[in-house]
Amino acid sequence: MSAARSVYLTANVAILIFLIAPLAVIAIFALNPTPYIQFPPVGVTWRWFQKFWASPEFTNSLVLSLEVAFAVVVLSMAIGGAAAIGLERGRLPGARLVTALFLTPLMLPAILTGLAMFQLLLSFGIGRPVWALVLGHTVVAVPYVIRTTLAVLSEFDRRVEEAAAVLGATPTRVFAEVTLPLIRPGVFAGGVFAFITSFDQFPISLFLVTPGHETLPVVMFNYMKFDLDGTIAAASMVSILLAVGVVFIIDRLVGLRATVAI
Amino acid sequence: MSDRISRRAALVGAGAGLAMVAAPHVARAQAATLKITTWGGKWGDVMKGEVLPAFEREFKCKVEADQAFPFLPKLAASPTSAPLYDVLHTNSNEQWSALDQGLVMDKLTVREVPNIKDVYPYAVSDRIVGVSIFTSAIGLGYRTDKGLAPPTSWKDLADPKLAGVRGAYQIPVNSLGQSHLLLLGQLYGKGYQDLDAAYKALEALKPIKMVDFTGQMEKMILSGEVTMAVIHDSGILRYEGQNQPTEFAAPREGVLSLEQVLNVTPGSKVKELAFAFCDYMLRPDVQKKLAEAVWYSPANKTVSLDKKYADRLFITPEKVATLIQTDWKWYNARKDAIDARVARIMRA
Amino acid sequence: MPAVDTLDLHVQPGEFFSLLGPSGCGKTTTLRMIAGFETPDEGTIAVGGRDLTRVPVHRRDMGMVFQSYALFPHRTVAENVAFGLRMRGVPKREITERVATALGQVALAGYEERRPNQLSGGQQQRVALARAIVIRPAVLLCDEPLGALDRKLRQSMQVELKQLQRRLGVTLVFVTHDQEEALAMSDRIGIMNAGRLDQVGTPADIYDRPASRFVAGFIGEINLVDGTMAGGRFTARDGTPMPCPAGSDGPTTLALRPEKITLGAPGSGVADGTITDASFLGDQVIYTVTTGAGAVFLVKERNSGAGHLRAPASAVALDWRLDAAVLIGRA
Repeated sequence: MSAARSVYLTANVAILIFLIAPLAVIAIFALNPTPYIQFPPVGVTWRWFQKFWASPEFTNSLVLSLEVAFAVVVLSMAIGGAAAIGLERGRLPGARLVTALFLTPLMLPAILTGLAMFQLLLSFGIGRPVWALVLGHTVVAVPYVIRTTLAVLSEFDRRVEEAAAVLGATPTRVFAEVTLPLIRPGVFAGGVFAFITSFDQFPISLFLVTPGHETLPVVMFNYMKFDLDGTIAAASMVSILLAVGVVFIIDRLVGLRATVAI
Repeated sequence: MSDRISRRAALVGAGAGLAMVAAPHVARAQAATLKITTWGGKWGDVMKGEVLPAFEREFKCKVEADQAFPFLPKLAASPTSAPLYDVLHTNSNEQWSALDQGLVMDKLTVREVPNIKDVYPYAVSDRIVGVSIFTSAIGLGYRTDKGLAPPTSWKDLADPKLAGVRGAYQIPVNSLGQSHLLLLGQLYGKGYQDLDAAYKALEALKPIKMVDFTGQMEKMILSGEVTMAVIHDSGILRYEGQNQPTEFAAPREGVLSLEQVLNVTPGSKVKELAFAFCDYMLRPDVQKKLAEAVWYSPANKTVSLDKKYADRLFITPEKVATLIQTDWKWYNARKDAIDARVARIMRA
Repeated sequence: MPAVDTLDLHVQPGEFFSLLGPSGCGKTTTLRMIAGFETPDEGTIAVGGRDLTRVPVHRRDMGMVFQSYALFPHRTVAENVAFGLRMRGVPKREITERVATALGQVALAGYEERRPNQLSGGQQQRVALARAIVIRPAVLLCDEPLGALDRKLRQSMQVELKQLQRRLGVTLVFVTHDQEEALAMSDRIGIMNAGRLDQVGTPADIYDRPASRFVAGFIGEINLVDGTMAGGRFTARDGTPMPCPAGSDGPTTLALRPEKITLGAPGSGVADGTITDASFLGDQVIYTVTTGAGAVFLVKERNSGAGHLRAPASAVALDWRLDAAVLIGRA
């Protein structure tokens, strides 16, 4: 093995450790019986996971987080996908500006977006229904879908659509039979990002959740302020595993690997 | 004041009149909703499990309790005519900044909250906006298994043996850290407002572990990461009976008080209910239940606690006299400058 | 400037018609107008007497083959070919049969279940061709269909495409910038230049009788001599009289293909000169001959026997038959 190769391997292992270490710490915290982080761990216990599952606050918030995330995924894929097509194809005046505008939520601190939405909702007397929470998450999720869809669209050979049209496909059928299937990997890749953004969303949720209907990250944050124990780590593990599971399922369904540069 | 009372009476009268006309219908259709903030953890469990349901039954209303921080920005962002909360439960420092922004009433008195007649003076002192329903005593928490003499003075935290294993709080975000800073001025300088002495004393406490909130400090003491730390009594006492090698000491210079304060928002649509809630929280039975659940010292003098709690909590006039209340109005006015200075000290 | 200016083009039924021109000449735009992707500002497009000018693409019943193949990457070969039939509501069983037939016609039977990315470029273009012809279009449009293929493959595909077109009797409009391809395949060629149709004719017409300087220069190599026609005789600017067919008096240009010039002994032809350059291409030799008056001619001579190469700097005479030259008006 050459020196360069061993340096390369060492660097890779180091990066891997850097990425995995936080997860390992969480795992140890979640399985260790003591109510604080301790190394080396003194044993293995499921009690924090049991406490997590036994707590209606945690389980209800987990369910709410999942429901919201799925709604956000569907909405942001529809909005983001349509917006990307419009921006790429619409020959709109100022499309660049609009693109930039659509992508601003990525640059704004989400806490501002949350606060702004909160004020808007209250000043219109709307209150904070769940759909407002979904909408708030969607606002920050849509840019990801636009991004990934635009990436696919920019590589898109429009002759393929023309070929379909010449073969007798109406514009609607061209869209359904050719355009949509071909941009789908991009839209779904954005959907994965949307899911993760929503599922992990904290700053926006902070303002948009209502008492008794908090999402998991908010419940975790509040729990941490009063009861810092392994339950928080167990909750983290559960949400990480769920997020990984969803990404895995979507990958199986549409094959994210087929997606080009994101 | 008499003006206010007569208006209240008129309101009650009008309400009663309405109730007679449309009572069955209205009562079923829309029970009033009281929106409050409250803590999580064990406190939240007792509130949601027992206190709030009982209040709802007695006052035929619904209580919506927000446990999700941050309360103040959310309240500030909501319209003053339709505030997000009717009752704001926070620590004392936040009540002062809420008052500054016109988000809460300046004073609660026996007229609105009759049970105030039974509270210790600190609960409605001029250092309090609203009414304090409980207080904790901030003192020194320490490990008993490190061969350390139990601390008797705040100055024991500066013991060189504790370098790197003493703990305090991020001053910009934590009121325990803030009141401790002012105390340093009193201990090492000319008084609570001697910030220069306080900064110097803080500098001398380095290396010191700083955390954001008390829950973290509890765990750091439990795990032995710190040997001695500034902490409120309940953060140590709540582990009683679990054989933890930790203890709480009340320094002879006095303990800082960490008040649990209730206040009502001026724009509340259900002010009577809000006052009733504050009053309810001061009832002896409610006070006893919560005090014994989370080791908070009740503000109501007439509460009789079980011996175990009565021995440790601050409920006798003598012990209550050792509580030091921070001048938050003074502090909040200087907060930015203090934060900047402290950030420099901690970075260096 | 419009991509395509006034254009009058008639393609005969069953004809293999090529639109030839340099890139940017408007040939692709013309094809796209026929297909319906572009709408002309004025005028009409008709097929078999039916006015299609305002008919949308999907109702024109044409076949089209693109340079980039434009296959549906997410569908199998069979699904690609079946697409047009599906859009027309053809019954399932018939679709299966016709797809099989079409794939047979392009020699791709057995490839039904492959995906486009599992095929070579040539195979992909055959799929595209099958997909276009399976709907039995009256008109088949090809936009540089062989442009992405390598030279060898392109030549064999040229033959196949031509044979297929004959067999099916489809009218084919073929856009290319490759003059050899156009000459080899077309019944007729339209040469386009700067948005206009310069000349329409059979490959022989276009090659032997270019109507403009542009056409003459674009197709193959040619010698152009500026001069004057007077009393039925052409005199080059340098004063050399040159043989040419009859034409009206006035300034004109004489066009002469290099292979139509013969080289002889000095004094035996139209003009004498010396060989200033020679390129040996195997089947032929290209000589550059500079005349005494300074004019430069390209001459192609067949390599008819070994050791027949002319030495550089040797003196020769240029000569050609009267009808070998063409006069083209000053373009």
